Order: sequence, then C-alpha cells, then structure tokens
Amino acid sequence: MTSTQDLIERFTPELRGFGASLPDEFAAALGTLERRLTPEQLEAWADQGVKLAHHSLRSWEAAAEYFRASPEIAPRIDFDTLVEWGETAAELASSSALMSAAYVKATPALLDLLPAEDLTPLANLGERLCRGNWKSISLSSLFYSTSPALLGVLTLSALDEFVDVIDALTERSYELATACLETAAGVFGQLEADDREAFLRFARAVTRASWADTRLYFERGPRLLQAVESGQRADFLDLAARVTTEIGRQGYPLFAEAATSLAQMDPADHGDMIRFARRLATGSPTSAMEYLKSAPFVRSRLTPEQMERWSEAGRDILFIERNAEGAEAYFRLESTRAEDSLAALSARVELSSVGTTLRLYAKALTGEQIAVRSTEDLVDRGIGWVTESVATTEGTSIYLPPYVNAYEEQRANFIAYKVFTTHQTGRLEFGAFSYRYGEPGTYTGGTVLAREANTPPPSHLEASDAPQKLAAVTPMQRYFDLFADRTMIAGLFTVVEDTRIDQVVSREYSGIREALRRLQSYEANRRPDVRSMGLQAAFVENLLRASLGRPDTIMWPMPLQSLLGQGLAALRVIEQPGATVQDSAEVATALYDIMERIPNIVSDMLKDDWVAYDEDYLSINPMMPGGGGDGDMGPLVPSGEEVAFQNPPQPEFRGDFKPELVQLLMQLRLQQQGLQGDAVLSPMSAEQLKQLLENSVEITISEMAEGDLSSTLGLFLSNLEKEAGTPQTDQKTQQGEQDGSGGVEEEPGPMEDLPVEVTWKYYDEWDFRAGDYRPRWCRVGERLGEEGELDYYDDTLRKNHGLVMETRRQFEIMRPETFRKIKRLEDGEDVDIDAAIEFIVDKRAGTGPLGRIYWRRNKIERDVAVAFLLDMSASTDEEIEKQKPKYDQDDDFDDDPRKYFQWLAQRRAKQALEPPKRIVDLEKESAILIIEALEAIGDSYGIYGFSGYGRDNVEYYVIKDLDEELDDSVRRRVDKIEPIRSTRMGPAIRHTIWKLQEFEAKVKILILVSDGRPQDHGYGRDRTEKEYAVHDTHQALQEAKRAGITPFLITVDKEGHDYLKQMMDDVGYEVVDNIESLPRRLPSLYRSLAAE
Amino acid sequence: MTITQPQAFKQIAVEEFRLTEEPFYLPINDEIQLFEQAYERQIPVLLKGPTGAGKTRFVEYMSWRLHEHLGDKSNEGVPLITVACHEDLTASDLVGRYLLEGDNTRWIDGPITRAVKVGAICYLDEIVEARKDTTVLIHPLTDYRRLLPIDKRGELLEAADGFLLVMSYNPGYQSALKDLKHSTRQRFIAIEFGYPPRDQEAEIIRVESLCSAEDAQELAKLAEKVRNLKEHGLAEGVSTRLLVYAGKLIAQGIAPRRACQVAIVWALTDDLEVQRSIEEVVTSIFEN
Ligand SMILES: Nc1ncnc2c1ncn2[C@@H]1O[C@H](COP(=O)(O)OP(=O)(O)O)[C@@H](O)[C@H]1O
Ligand SMILES: [Mg+2]
Repeated sequence: MTSTQDLIERFTPELRGFGASLPDEFAAALGTLERRLTPEQLEAWADQGVKLAHHSLRSWEAAAEYFRASPEIAPRIDFDTLVEWGETAAELASSSALMSAAYVKATPALLDLLPAEDLTPLANLGERLCRGNWKSISLSSLFYSTSPALLGVLTLSALDEFVDVIDALTERSYELATACLETAAGVFGQLEADDREAFLRFARAVTRASWADTRLYFERGPRLLQAVESGQRADFLDLAARVTTEIGRQGYPLFAEAATSLAQMDPADHGDMIRFARRLATGSPTSAMEYLKSAPFVRSRLTPEQMERWSEAGRDILFIERNAEGAEAYFRLESTRAEDSLAALSARVELSSVGTTLRLYAKALTGEQIAVRSTEDLVDRGIGWVTESVATTEGTSIYLPPYVNAYEEQRANFIAYKVFTTHQTGRLEFGAFSYRYGEPGTYTGGTVLAREANTPPPSHLEASDAPQKLAAVTPMQRYFDLFADRTMIAGLFTVVEDTRIDQVVSREYSGIREALRRLQSYEANRRPDVRSMGLQAAFVENLLRASLGRPDTIMWPMPLQSLLGQGLAALRVIEQPGATVQDSAEVATALYDIMERIPNIVSDMLKDDWVAYDEDYLSINPMMPGGGGDGDMGPLVPSGEEVAFQNPPQPEFRGDFKPELVQLLMQLRLQQQGLQGDAVLSPMSAEQLKQLLENSVEITISEMAEGDLSSTLGLFLSNLEKEAGTPQTDQKTQQGEQDGSGGVEEEPGPMEDLPVEVTWKYYDEWDFRAGDYRPRWCRVGERLGEEGELDYYDDTLRKNHGLVMETRRQFEIMRPETFRKIKRLEDGEDVDIDAAIEFIVDKRAGTGPLGRIYWRRNKIERDVAVAFLLDMSASTDEEIEKQKPKYDQDDDFDDDPRKYFQWLAQRRAKQALEPPKRIVDLEKESAILIIEALEAIGDSYGIYGFSGYGRDNVEYYVIKDLDEELDDSVRRRVDKIEPIRSTRMGPAIRHTIWKLQEFEAKVKILILVSDGRPQDHGYGRDRTEKEYAVHDTHQALQEAKRAGITPFLITVDKEGHDYLKQMMDDVGYEVVDNIESLPRRLPSLYRSLAAE
Repeated sequence: MTITQPQAFKQIAVEEFRLTEEPFYLPINDEIQLFEQAYERQIPVLLKGPTGAGKTRFVEYMSWRLHEHLGDKSNEGVPLITVACHEDLTASDLVGRYLLEGDNTRWIDGPITRAVKVGAICYLDEIVEARKDTTVLIHPLTDYRRLLPIDKRGELLEAADGFLLVMSYNPGYQSALKDLKHSTRQRFIAIEFGYPPRDQEAEIIRVESLCSAEDAQELAKLAEKVRNLKEHGLAEGVSTRLLVYAGKLIAQGIAPRRACQVAIVWALTDDLEVQRSIEEVVTSIFEN
C-alpha cells in the first residue's frame, strides 16, 4: 500500500510533464496491479513505464497505452514476460513511438489469440516492416493495430509469410502495401481456413511476378475462388502459384480467367480438371491454364467422355510429341488440330460447317437463290423477327439456329438441320407465301369476299380519330384484316399452313419422312401443359398436337368435344394431297369461327372433365364445318377466369412463320427492282407501310427498340428497305451494315451511297512454333480497287513507248505455235512425200515393212493463268534514290506504326509538288508494262494488291481479275495502287491461291512483288517476333506449290537475303538490284517462268 | 461399222446400216414435225442442248421415221451416218484419203462423202469439238447447191436427194474456245433440246430402264432438284441418260440411294461439297 503511494508520489511530477492524463492513468493501473505484483515487481513495472515515457519525444503516448494495457495483461502472463513485453515496447519506441503505442495497445487482444511467448515474435514481424521512414512506420503501426484481426484468420507462421508479401510490396508502393494490409483480414476471413495459406503462397508469387496485380488479387481473388469447388481451391491456388512463378506477369490474369471458366463447369468435375491441369503444368504451365480456360467451351460441345479424349490428345502433344507451343495452341483452341479433334468428337453440328451444304440443298429444292444464315443475324437486323434460335425464312434467306445438339449422334443432329431446312424451303417450294386473296383452293371455296362484305372495319380503326382505312398492301394483310383478333387468326393460320407443309414435305420427300416424324414426336413430348391454358389457346394447342402426328397427346374438356372434333376434321382437309395455301386460309377461317364460340377461360373446375382424345382421331374424315351456326353448341360451359388469348409456342423445327411480313418484303423487293408484283397493287406509300407494321401481329415493336413509336418505325422501315434493296448473297456482306441511321421523321428514302462491297474470306495461318495452323485466323476482305485517272496509264505508256514496244515484240515471238507437225504416223492428215518415197524405196528393196508415211498437225493450246500480287504496304512509299530506310525498322515500325505513318505523312506533304519516284510507282509502271505484254500474248492474268492492318483486316484489292477483260476501269484502277498499311503476306497469298484454283488453266503462276519482309500488327506471337511472319509466308508459298501453282517472288529488298532464303526455301525468287530495272525485269522474268 | 448380233458376227458398210427396230423416242415438243419439214426442204439442222438430253436418240428415231423418203419401205430407215467429233478430227477424216495398198494407192471415202453419195443423214455429234478449219469444210454442203469439194481428187460431189446435214451442239460449255463460229451456225435451223418436263422424263426413265413408275417419278423429281444447282458448282444438270442408268440399277435391285450415288452424284461432280448437297437431296427423296 505504502509502496503504491510511494510510487505515485515518486513519479507523478515527472509524468505530469508529459500530459495531464498520464498520472491518472498511472495511478489507476497501479491500483489494479498492486494486488497482483509484489512491491519490487511493482516498482520495476512503474520504472519501465516511466522510462518508456522518457524514451523519445512522443513515447509518452506509448506509455499511456502501457499503463492502460498492463492491468489487463498482467493477470494473464507471468512477470518475466511482462517485463519482456515492456522491453519490447521500449525497443519499438526507439524506432517510433507510434509503433510502440500500436503494439502495446493491441497486446490485450493479441493475448486472446497467442500464447504469451509469441508476443515478441509478433512484435518482430511488425518491426520487419519498419525502415525508419514515416511511410514504413505507419505501415508497421497499421500492422500492429490489425494484427489481432489478422491472427483471427491466420496462424503466426502464415502471418510471417504475409508480412513477406507486404514487405515485398513496399519496395514498389507503400500505398499498395497499405491497402492490402488494411483489407487483408477481411480477405482472409472470406476464405476457408484450409485455403488461406495457399492463397498467400499465390499472393507471394503474384507479387514477385507483377506486383501491381496483387491488389486486384486481394480484391477479387476470394470471390473468384468462391466459384471453385471448396475442396479444390488450395490445389488450384498452388497450380496458379506454380504457373506464375514460371511464366511471370500473365499469372494473375490466367488465374482469373481460369477461375471464371471453372465457375461455368460442374463443381463435381473441378477436382479432375485441376488434377489434369497440374499434370499439364509440369510440362507447360501455360497449357494448364489454357486448358482450364477452354474447358467450358469444349464442354458445351462434348460429353464428359469425349472431352476427356479431347484433353488427352492435347496432353499427348505436350508429353509425347514434346511440343509445348503446340499444346498451348491446342488448348487455347488456336490450332487446327484442336478444332479438328473437337469437330470429330462432337455430336454437335455447327451451322458454320454445314451451311454451304444446306445452302446448296435449299437451292436444289427450291430452285431459288437462298442464303442460309444463323438466326443470330436475324435478330440484329431489326426487321421484325425477335426470337433467337428458331428457324424461319423471309423469302430469300433461311434462318437456322447456330447449332443443333439435340441428339447424341452427329448424323442425327445434321438430319435435324435438314428437317428444319426442308420445312423452311417447303414454305417457299409449296407456296406458303403465295396466298392470293379470294381465290378458291382445291378443297374449299373462297369465302373471304363474302366475309369482307360483312366485316366491320377492324377494331383498331374504329376510333373516331382513326385515319381512314388504307388499302391493304399485301393479300395476306387484307386477309388478316378480316378478323377482329389478328393474333388468333395468325396463330391458326400458322398451325394450319405448317400442317400442310409438313404433309406435303413428307409426301414429296419420303427420305426424311421418318426423321420428320421423329422430330414431330420429340416436339410433341415437350409441349406445355394444355390444362393451364385458356380454352382457346388449348384448342390451338390441341390442333398443333394433332398436326404433329400425336393425337394421343390431346387433352380437351369433355363437354366441348364436338367443337374440337369439328376442328380436327377441318384440319384434316389440309392434309389431303393437292391442298394449297388457299385451302389453309379457308380452314383457318373455319377454325376461327369455331374458336369464337369457345370462351377463353382457365378453370380448375374443369380438371376432371379433361379427357384424352385418341380413339377416333384417325377415323375422322376431312370435313369443313357445316355452314350456318349449328345448334349443337348448347353444352353448358363451366365458368372460369377469362384470360387474354395467347398462342401456344411454336415447335422449334417449324420455326417462325410470318407470311404477312414476307409478302411485304417480297413486294418491297419487286418495287425496288422496278417491277410491280401484282397489277392490283400500286406502289405502297409510307403511310400504308406504317399502318401495316403497326397492325401486324408479327411485329412486336416494343421489343425492337426503345423510344417513341415513330422513330422505331422509322428505323424499322429503313431496315426493311435495306433488306429489300440488297439481294441476299450469302458470301457477301456489306461493310458498315448496321448503323441504324433511320432518321426520326424521315420518309424512308433511297439507300445512302453504297459502301465499297467487300467479300470476306477466312484463312488459316501457320504457327511455326506450334507446328500447326491457327484455324480461320485471318480475314481477307476482297474489294475492287478504287478508280483513279485514266491519264496515268496513258502517260506511262507514252513515256515508256520504246520499252512497251520492245516488250510487246518479245512477247509476240513467244506466242504459241498453235500447231506442231507430227510425222511418221501410220495414219494422219496427209502423206508426207519424203517419208512416202523412202518407204517405197525401202519396200522395193525388200525392207521397211511399216508404212509410217503420214503426218498430222497437233494442236498445242497455250493455257496459262498468272496472278500478280503487289505489295501495297506503307513502305512502298520509299523513294527509290534513298532506298535505305531512314527509320530504324526494328524499333519504330513494330512498336509504333503511328509514328511511322506520321513520318510518312510529313514527307508526303513535302513532296507533294514534285514527287520523286517511289517503289510503288515502279510497281505501277511494271503493272502497266506487264498488262501490255500479256495482252499481246493472250494469257489470262490478274493483278491484285494487298495491305491491311491486323489479322481481321487483310485488304485485298482487285485491279484486274483473272477473268476480267482489260478496259478503262482496269486502267483507272492502276492509277490508284497506293501505299497503304502493313504486309501480311500469308493470307494474301492464300487468297490468290484460291482465286487461281477457281480459274481453269493448265499452267498457273503466282508472282509476288514486294519490297521487304512480311510484317503486320500481331503477325507473330509478340511484337518483336519476325520469324513467325516469315514462316507463315513460307508455308503459304508451299501451299501454292501443292495446289499446282508456280509461285515466284520479286523483291527490291537488297538487304533481305537472310530471311529470304528461309522464306523462299525451294521457291524461286529474284532480288532486283537496280530497282529501276523492275519494269524491264518483270516481263522477261515472266517469259522464262511461263515458258515451262 | 460392225455390230455384234446374238448369233453371228456381221459386217456391214456404214451406208448400209439401218435400224431394224423402231427406237423409243418420246416427243417433247414439235421437234419431229420441225425435223420432217427441214428434211423435206433440205435445210440443215442444228440440235442444241446439253449432253444426254436425247439428241442422238432423236436423230436415230428420225432416220427410222423418214424411211419413206427413200421410197423403199421394206428397208427401214434413212441411213444414218454418225461422226463423233473430236479436236483432232481433220478434213481427211471426214472426206476421205488415199491409202497404200500393195504398190498402189486406193482412195477411201470418208463418212461425209459416203453420206453425200447415198443420201444419208450425216450427224456430226458435238461439232464444237472439231477444229475450226474442219468445220469450214461443210459450208458448201449447206448451200443450196449442196456440194462437197474433194480437193485431193479435184472433184465436186453433189449430194444425193436424201442427204441432210445434222449437227449437235452443247451450248453448256460456254467458253470462247468452244463456241460455234457464226459463219457456221447461221447455216442451220436450230432445234432446242432442254431437259424434258418431270412427267415425261419419268416416262422415258421408266421405258428405258424398266424400273417402276414410282421410282421413275422420284428420279425425275431428283433430276429437277439437282438441275436447280446448275451454275452452283455444277457445270451441267444431270442428264436423262444418267437417270436412265440409275433407273436400270434400281430395276436390278440396287437400293435407290446407292444407285443414285454411283449413277448421279459421283458421275456429276468431283466437288465434295456439291456431292454432299446432292446426296442430301437424294436421301430426302429416297427412303433407302
Ligand atoms: N425424248 C426422249 N425419248 C426417249 N429417250 C430419251 C429421250 N430423251 C432422252 N432419252 C434417253 O436419254 C439417253 C441419252 O440420250 P442421247 O440421245 O444419247 O443424248 P444426247 O445425244 O443429247 O447426248 C437415251 O439413250 C435415252 O435413253
Ligand atoms: Mg449424243
């Protein structure tokens, strides 16, 4: 007691100097502690506290914490430890009072989590972060203050590792380190205990490989991991860590993508997948991650067993062929092998791979030029179809789902495609769109005219302010206008007409009858529950089921039996041979009348009365319902809740049916072509169109675009007009298609200026590291070269008059000797006098029994086609005097093409007045010369230019096509051969090969004229790799040879010998030394090439 | 020309050859009438149309039908001399040449000379295949004088009454090289041979191949579909001849799909994509 008092008296004055509260805190602590400590101990404790306060300028703050914390701590640790603790505090204070205070303050909480002997090690961890500057001090203080929370989620040894991570980060950014430390407890808290260390291990790897990603990892990692099956996360993290350690900065992004992919897979498979990936990682870490990334895509096409085989094939590339790059490309799905094995294994059939077959098939069936497109395209076009993945047609195109995967076998899926297509072509072939108003059918009379006389104007026109009714634009519209409920009549007409089409198809095409039946049955089994529909909808639904050939699935309320009976009998009318679309319209009308007598109610009370309707269906005879309203409609219909009528969904294979819109489109097309479809129909006005579109049930305006109706309509109309204006050819797409420029109030005007028409084609590219092609890697856009002035061509001819004449003469000599005399034949055109005399002499002499005395002329036809492929890359802008490029190709061009273009632009401006000759000028002159020469000899020739930027945009200019005649537009195009952008040679060569293959000739030659090595953005695995481009070009040239084409390169690149040898291999080439001799050289080279 | 007969070997001169049985020919249009009139008036005839459309059969049939012109009803048919043209066909091949025989030479008439002499129908099949200089040779024959100059003998031969020049020409291979010279083509009236309409074609197939009427009908339907592919990878539509072959195979018990594959699909094109599409049409039409 006295000792306490003593101590207070002794130290209070001293302590007061540090701050008013300090003595009180000291006293309070003493009060508690005196019961626990001996006086000596107490004194030692007090002494330590006061020393702490004295330690440095602000260490009294640490002392205050010391006094506050001690009473809490003392009961939990022995005195020696307490002293050690105080010493630690003092030691920390010598670095920073702040740190010390934070440590001391955290201690009570720490003791909840740590054994007392670990206090000092923990303090040491914090100290490790301190480097004496204020940033490190505040970081380390932060460490102490968060350490209890951290220890809540990490063991001390894990914390140790974590400090390493933070420490490493501090070398880059304190801000980042601080942020990570602040969030760490929360981050680790989200993780399962077992995963935390693994998480840390990966953190460490990320920090080393690309420190900036650490924050992202902390922010997103836990959520990404959530998607991974819980037992597998640690393994996955270890895999990621291993990959990152080996490959560096791509580590985190790959991890994130792989995790996202895993999220799309069945968690039950995660274990196997990660194990497989870990196995791959031993050979190629990148492959492991690429495998995980591609898995969902592959899985969407393959069954698990198939996928296993697919993966194993990739694994073999890695471990058996020992081709890591090949395996990477394989798992990245950027190799032909990956794609081939995917296609071979998959039962799924892609439209992209069967589209051509189906297009020709459709063309064969209908005799019309029909494009086969993916339904994905249709939605984009905004012409009134909004459902994806449902087959349909709009008259010139058939829209099919992008893939079919319904069956286990590829062939079955393909046949499904065929049935889809046949149903769509059936609509065209069997006249579903050729409804003519009022004409009778084969089995029915035309009642529509009588009906029209009795029909009030359609309800939507009744409003007083309604515009006066405009004449219907199409027969179909006029027909639909007859009915108050357009949705209902459209639904009925669809069922009826589809029934007819299916019937005709299975009658005409017995080969797919069975498949059609199977598909119908498949659909019938997937129909929605009929009892939950309104009765009217149920009526349509049941007709549909009957039409799918499955009357056994019909369910219908007993009391209304006779109505359905009449309906089914009417439907049968349409199934008879010879029924036409006119019959369909009549049958739909009759069904409509029946339906009007059925209330559209849903009622539970009816449940018991629903009966299957099987027994008599097959014996129902086709019959149209009797004339006037017969009286048998008596039965009491149970009441129920009235609902709005809605058509049941269409079976998928039949797809959407929009006769009104198709007739409209056809009409528009005819109008566009200046033909008038029906004499009755005058050109439709915008007003009429609008009315049709507003009323048409087929078009759901609201789904098309936001905004007011008129602007939507404007857009819609302009889309329609575009549609009508562009006859669909499947290979051509127009550039810059979809910009919905439909002006708000604008009258649908003529189309804007036609953009350049570009035909796109895809080509594989050779990845020499993977030893495989990257499938469909490059997109080549072929277009006509722009036309310039004619003067250029003529001027060049004039200026080079002498050379032109000389070349022509040389070529004329070469003109084929059309006939060659063959002598000494047993039979022939005529007797060869010399041979005959010889023969007679011999004969007289008794020798020479053979009468080979005839000759005949044999025709030798010259049949040569040559394609010139001119490099139109920016570098051909070089002046020829200074051939040595001014820029350093290695750095500038690859890294920043913009700079290079800038440089060029400046120079161009300077030289605008008196342009010196450039490489491209020589190319142009040579082109002119060769044209003149080849015209003299009569060989077929094409002249093409290429440039572009990136693999999606290889520009290919047709100056003169192989089968094109030389005319002024060709001459004009020569003028516009200009330096443009890069040089991706491979695809340009491949496209030229294709052109030559399409052309018939015995001898085919491809001459490439270039000024340097191939290069383009992304023409290589990274920006500096040049071998890739050289290899791809080499490969393309070999492909030419394989196709029976003789390739040849003429280059003006004097320095190019190193890569040239590799690129050309056994293919001929020539480096034109004196570049100005190019125009002279080209023709003579050609002569020697074509001579063989 | 030689023909083999069941019992014995028989050798007859070209100009003596007669058809002994009426060939089956189903008239599609007014071609019979036209030809008869042309024959009457001695107007040369050009038969235009794709291969296998019945041109040869038609000429055979006409030669049978026109036998009355010879006033010799017991000996059926106007003689028909057919020359299949090819690119090495020379003037001597047509007109004739000297042959060595022992120590002497002997003149041999070529087919055209024989036809001119006996008054036969001379049918130059696929005339565009012949060399242009050869084609010119026939020009004087198409004049009103109907003369055949035989340069090597320094003779002019006047055509006998029954002589008629008939050529066939397939405009399908439209290429500058293989086009008929205008100076040549303007000496003939042209009868077009298209593919027969479906029902008639089915009838031809049935009669010629002895397959069932249903199969014949399906084959004719198939033909119509396949012909829609002309210019889409197919240079020519399927000919009636090929359909007859398919019908024959079917009549022999080969499954229709297979019969179509060998007789039609593979015969028509080597392009795999097009083959595949046609096979799909085949499998849509035939059940097995
Ligand atoms: N109108 C026809 N009447 C009878 N058979 C025909 C008819 N058209 C074609 N054919 C058949 O087609 C086959 C080929 O006809 P062919 O006359 O040899 O054709 P082309 O001479 O036009 O190439 C004939 O053998 C015959 O079986
Ligand atoms: Mg013939």
